[in-house]
Parts: sequence; structure tokens; C-alpha cells
Amino acid sequence: MTPDLDAFRAEVRAFLAAELTDEMREAAVKSTSVFTPFAPCMAWQQALAAKGWAAPRWPVEAGGCDWTDAQHDVFEEELQAAGAPALLPHNLKMIGPLLLDLGTPEQKAKYLPGIYSGTDFWCQGYSEPGAGSDLASLKCAAAPDGDEYVLNGSKTWTTYAHHANRMFLLVRTRFEGKPQQGITFLLIDDMKTPGIEVRPIIALDGFPEQCEVFFTDARVPRANIVGAEHDGWTVAKHLLKYERGGGAPAPGLRRKLIQVQRAAAARDDGFGGRMSDDPAFQERLGELAAEVESLDHLFRVCSPRGGGEMDPAYPSMMKTLSADLGQSIAALMIEVAGTEGLPRQLEALEVGSDVDPLSSEFDMLAMPYWLNARATTIYAGSNEIQRDLIARRVLG
Amino acid sequence: MGYAFTEDQEFFRQSVERCLTREMDFSKRQKLLAAGEPHSKAVWAAFAEMGLLGLPFPEARGGMDGSAADLAAVCEVMGRRMAVEPYVSTVILGGLALAGAPSTPARDALLEEVAAGTEHLALAHEEGHGTPEPARVAMTAAKSGAGWVLSGEKRLALGADIAGWLVVSARVSGAPGDESGVALFLVPADAQGLGKRAYRTIEGRTGAHLSFADVTLSADALLADGEAGPALLRHALDRGMLALCAEAVGAMEALLAATADYANGRKQFGVAIGSFQALRHRIADMYMAHQRCRATLLVTAAMLDAGEAQPRHLSILKAQVGRLGRELGASAVQVHGGMGTTDELEVGHHVKRILSAGTLFGTDQQHRRLVGRAMGRARNAVEAL
Repeated sequence: MTPDLDAFRAEVRAFLAAELTDEMREAAVKSTSVFTPFAPCMAWQQALAAKGWAAPRWPVEAGGCDWTDAQHDVFEEELQAAGAPALLPHNLKMIGPLLLDLGTPEQKAKYLPGIYSGTDFWCQGYSEPGAGSDLASLKCAAAPDGDEYVLNGSKTWTTYAHHANRMFLLVRTRFEGKPQQGITFLLIDDMKTPGIEVRPIIALDGFPEQCEVFFTDARVPRANIVGAEHDGWTVAKHLLKYERGGGAPAPGLRRKLIQVQRAAAARDDGFGGRMSDDPAFQERLGELAAEVESLDHLFRVCSPRGGGEMDPAYPSMMKTLSADLGQSIAALMIEVAGTEGLPRQLEALEVGSDVDPLSSEFDMLAMPYWLNARATTIYAGSNEIQRDLIARRVLG
Repeated sequence: MGYAFTEDQEFFRQSVERCLTREMDFSKRQKLLAAGEPHSKAVWAAFAEMGLLGLPFPEARGGMDGSAADLAAVCEVMGRRMAVEPYVSTVILGGLALAGAPSTPARDALLEEVAAGTEHLALAHEEGHGTPEPARVAMTAAKSGAGWVLSGEKRLALGADIAGWLVVSARVSGAPGDESGVALFLVPADAQGLGKRAYRTIEGRTGAHLSFADVTLSADALLADGEAGPALLRHALDRGMLALCAEAVGAMEALLAATADYANGRKQFGVAIGSFQALRHRIADMYMAHQRCRATLLVTAAMLDAGEAQPRHLSILKAQVGRLGRELGASAVQVHGGMGTTDELEVGHHVKRILSAGTLFGTDQQHRRLVGRAMGRARNAVEAL
């Protein structure tokens, strides 16, 4: 059966017209990292959840949508066209799918409704001051005490921990043996648990996004583990499957490139012409555009969506290439913005602010975008780690 | 929509692979080139036998109605196996330009000869501009009585030294920069006033620079003019560029495999050089380069077959294969060390094939600029990319 795509598109548009607020759109415009401003983003997730569209690609029985690939495309196109903010991945692309795969029936019943609706927000406690790319060396300890674990140690680079009410994290439950074999995957029901302290970290763009989280004798029920005790590494690797290179990367990058082109059309090239007419600019723009399209082709041909066997290196390739490409686009953005990108405009960058940008929105956003793009080649396994994984595929 | 090869495509790919393995391994290829042979007659006869030489021609004219995806499928194997056979010049560039012109008994007979492997064609279009744009054609075709007189120069016409007939782009009106007025002519290779300087290209193909000093043609030499002229030219060029890129993608695959083997086998400091991270990361980049060129190849072929391909889509393919292919090739030589710089190893020959594909009908730099310019003209993101 072929669904009526036009009718479906009309339904999506009607929903967007009714539910997507100006503030949510503004949050999308002012997103200069992969993480959309928190409050409007969660409001948008709640609106989508109410319609049953918060996680279309989840299994249907878990709340996903019984759509064809073409319907998924239409949905994504319309979200892009309407300027909807990207949802935060933590609930819907990380802990949600993970619990669907590996959670106990009790955990699913307890957590999935809040994960889906967006009334809960989960932060991810992986990295530690001494454990980044070498995640297995993590030391944050969970010592059993009756029905509880007692947590001591710290986590860092925990995105939006200052907004989160729940947390999933990796803790060390055994110190002897191979580092990978003493890690446990744990759920924390309440970030206000005594002994948990969150300290936001101000990033290069001037805003807090990442946090440090300190644990001092914080107590968590032992029932809150996912998978087996000491086997959290397996669980974490399972989750990585969702974290790296999940969706279609091209639509967002395309939109960025068009913004760059439009901005260059309004800019003096310093030699008496328009920047967009400069052959050197055109060639760089063309190179980035060709790369964006190639990435889209890779997604179409090599992702599970391509129909064939998925290349095991695909997630690492997608992560590496889209992060590198995003940084290259960011480099062209700050070049086009030039000196107009230098004023620090923290007030105007806030969602809902009544302060206008000094020049254009593009000029205001270019530098924060470049600064925040630094993180993309570092988090979720740095690009160096990804290249190691890809090389293993080729060389063994 | 999947991008796996169809059963028919797999059959052709395996037949080409078997044929080239049997008739033209690397040492035979080297001997053939050293002997000055343009290509292997045995391989060409085998291609004819398989039906490969009529693959893209209309069924009504003795062909198999092969798609762009079919051409990409077989040309990828030809590239991987370093075939020097003039498949792209005779069958795709020359053949499609002829097959797309209105049918006449003489043209149909010529197409049959091409499909049977007894005649070669070539497309003479390049004039030193680099880009494939029909609008840049400067060579003129002046009306003379019922016929035409061609004057001008063509450069690097692949396969033109062995072709019995040339398809030539020339301007019947307008000036360079203007696409209308560009027409296609069928010219016998022995025409009076047609000068030829033949050579081999770096990767072992044959080609020629051509000069047309008032070459007189009869009226039926005109294959396509008006709107059909540039359209037919683009049709042949698009598929020619696709095929060259498919060959380059095949060469990239071969280089990646050879480089991985070498890195795992070659020992320095007591360990395989493939254990060094600097080298492993280089190979990871080679892998990603090949994967995205191949993905872009398959999607571009599908777009051509669906009638959705715009000039910028071919430019994207050329831009990617040109740049990423060159980078991959340079890395393959680097990892092979001194051995990679010799003529005795397959590596350098694959690299030269990639450099050639990246340069013919526009360098990657030119195509990047074309893509960037197209974005400036578009009204929105969908139109732009």
C-alpha cells in the first residue's frame, strides 16, 4: 500500500503551523552546537510526543511511527522547512533505544513514558577528568552497600547536567582485572539525590552547555543497573551504535551552506567586488557542497537504509566525515563574517532576547558556531579513535 | 531505494572481470603497451561477443538499451582491471552521440559495426577549455551549398587515432559563451583537411589533437543541431564522465586493496608498517575517500537514469573523484614507499588512470567552481544541491 504523501505532508504542515512556536524556531536559529537551547527544545519534544511523533524511527510498538521511508523523508523535510529545532539526542536516541533493547520490563515501564514525552531529561555520565577517548579507564566508583551503591568520584563534559533530572552513567564496580570488565551501567532517578553536585562549565562561546558532576557518598539503588553488574562496557558499546552517525546529515549542512552563500552575496570581498563572485570563494563553497552531497550519498548507499548489509565502519565514517565537514563549513562561515563576527553578543544570542544582533544573525552566529564545532571531532570517540576503527576494518 | 547491482549487471561485471583476468593481466598489459598496440584485439572481440559494445544503444538499433547504472557497473570493473580498451571513447562518447541522432541506414550500419567490434568512434569536443560546457565550443561549421565546412582545432580526443569516424562538436551560429548554435557532426577520419597528432595518454589510452582546415562535409554529416545539438552532446558527455569516474572508482578500490596488503606485509623496525598509527589513519582516509566516491557514483548514475541529473550533479561527481581520487592515489604511492614510484608496480598505473579521469572534461577545481556558482543562482537549498 502506498500512503498518500501529499495528504501526509499536509497533515505534518498543519501540525507544525499549530504547534511550532516562534520561540522554538528562534531556538533552532540560535543553535550553534548540536545541542539546541534546552527549554524550547524540550517544549517542542513534548508537543511532538503528544502527537505521537517524537520518535518516528522507534519500533512501532514502543511509540514509533509505521511510516515508509518516503514518509520519514517528508516529515524531516517539513521539519527543516518549518525551522523546527533539533531534539536533544539523550532521551530519544540514547537511553530510550537502549532501554528498549536491554532494559528490564520494570525499567521500561518506569522510564520510557518520561523519556518519550520529554517530562524527564536524561544526561549522560561517561567521560571523566582522566577518562576521555580511553573511556575504559574510568574511575568513578560505585561500592555496594546492601541494596544500594555508594557513588564517589566525578564525571565531566556531561551535557546539560544542570537541566537534567535523571542520569545514565558508567561506574566502576570492580578495580581488579581488565578495565573493561569492571564497569557497570547505572541509572540515577533523581539528580537532586544527596551527594550529587553539578557545576556548569562555561564554553568558548560564553555559554554553559557541559557540566562537571561530583559524587560524594551518593546512594543509588542496585536495581538501577542496565545489563549485568560489571558488564556495563557491553551496554555502552551497544549504545554507541545509536550515538555515532545516526541520521541523515545533509539537510542541516545544506541549509548552513545556503546561509553562507547568501551572506557572501551581501559582503564586500575587500577588492571591490562581492565575495560570492570571487572564484576562490565559489570553489570553496563548491567543494563543501560536493562533500555535503557525497555524505548524503554515503548515507543513502551505505547506511542500513540503503537496503544492503551495513558496512561495519559506516558509523565511524559518518561521524568522522560529518564532524570534519561541519568544521570546514564553520571555517568558511567565520571568513565570510569577517570582523562582523568578532563582537561578543551574549545577550542577543539568548532565546527570547529583545536585544537585536549588531549586524546580521549570520554574523552573530558564525563565531559561536566555529567555536562549538571544535567539540564535534572530540566527543563520542574523537576522530582519531574513529580513524583507528576504520583502519581496523581495512587492515585488521 | 537500493543501490545493489542487478543480476544482469553482476553477470556483465563477472564476464568483464574473467575476460580481463584471462587476456590482460598486468604483465600482458605492460607488453602490449610496450609494443605500441593501442589495445588488445582479443579483449575487444570478447567484449563484442558479450554484447558489451552495444550495451547503451537503443534496442531498435541493435543495442541493449543499457542504463547509466549499467555503464557505471561495467566501467568500475574495467578501471579496477586497468583495461586500456577504448570502451569510453568508442561506445560511450562517440557511440552515444551517434546513437542519439536520428536514424538513417548509414548511421545504423555504422552503429552495428561498432557493436560488432569492427569499427571505432571518437568524440572530438575538447578545445583546451577544460570544462565540458557545450557553450565554450569555438570551432565553426559554415554552411557551404548543401553541406558544411569545419574549421578549428580539437584537443585530446580520446581514441581519435584509431577511430574510423569522429563525432565533432562545432558552432553553426553564435559565439563562444552561447550554448545555442552548437551542433554535432559525423566526420570520416580520412576527410581531406583533417590533421591528426596521435599519442598515448599517461594512463595508456590513445588520443589525438586534431586540426580541421576547411574540412568539407556533406549535408547528412549533421547529427544534431538546434536544441538537440547541446542536449545530445551533454547526453554523451554526462555518461562519458560517469564512465571515467566509474573507472577511477574501480582504480581506487584496487589501490586501497593493494595498499592494505602492502602495509600488512612490509616490515620495518621489526613490525608491519600497517601497525603505525600515522599510516593507519592515512589508510582510513583512503577508505573513506573510496566509499564516498563510490556512493556518489551510484547515486549520480541513478539520477541520470531517472532524468533528474542536472549539470551540477555531474560536477559534484567529477569534483569528488578528481580530488579524493588524487589524494587516495598519492597516499597509495606514499605507503608503498620507493616501490610505489616505479613503473613496475600496478600502483602508479592506477594512479595515472585516476589523474586522467579527474582531468578529462574538467578538473576538480573547475567543477567545484561550477557547483559553487550554481548555488549562487539557486533560489533555495533544494535547487542548489
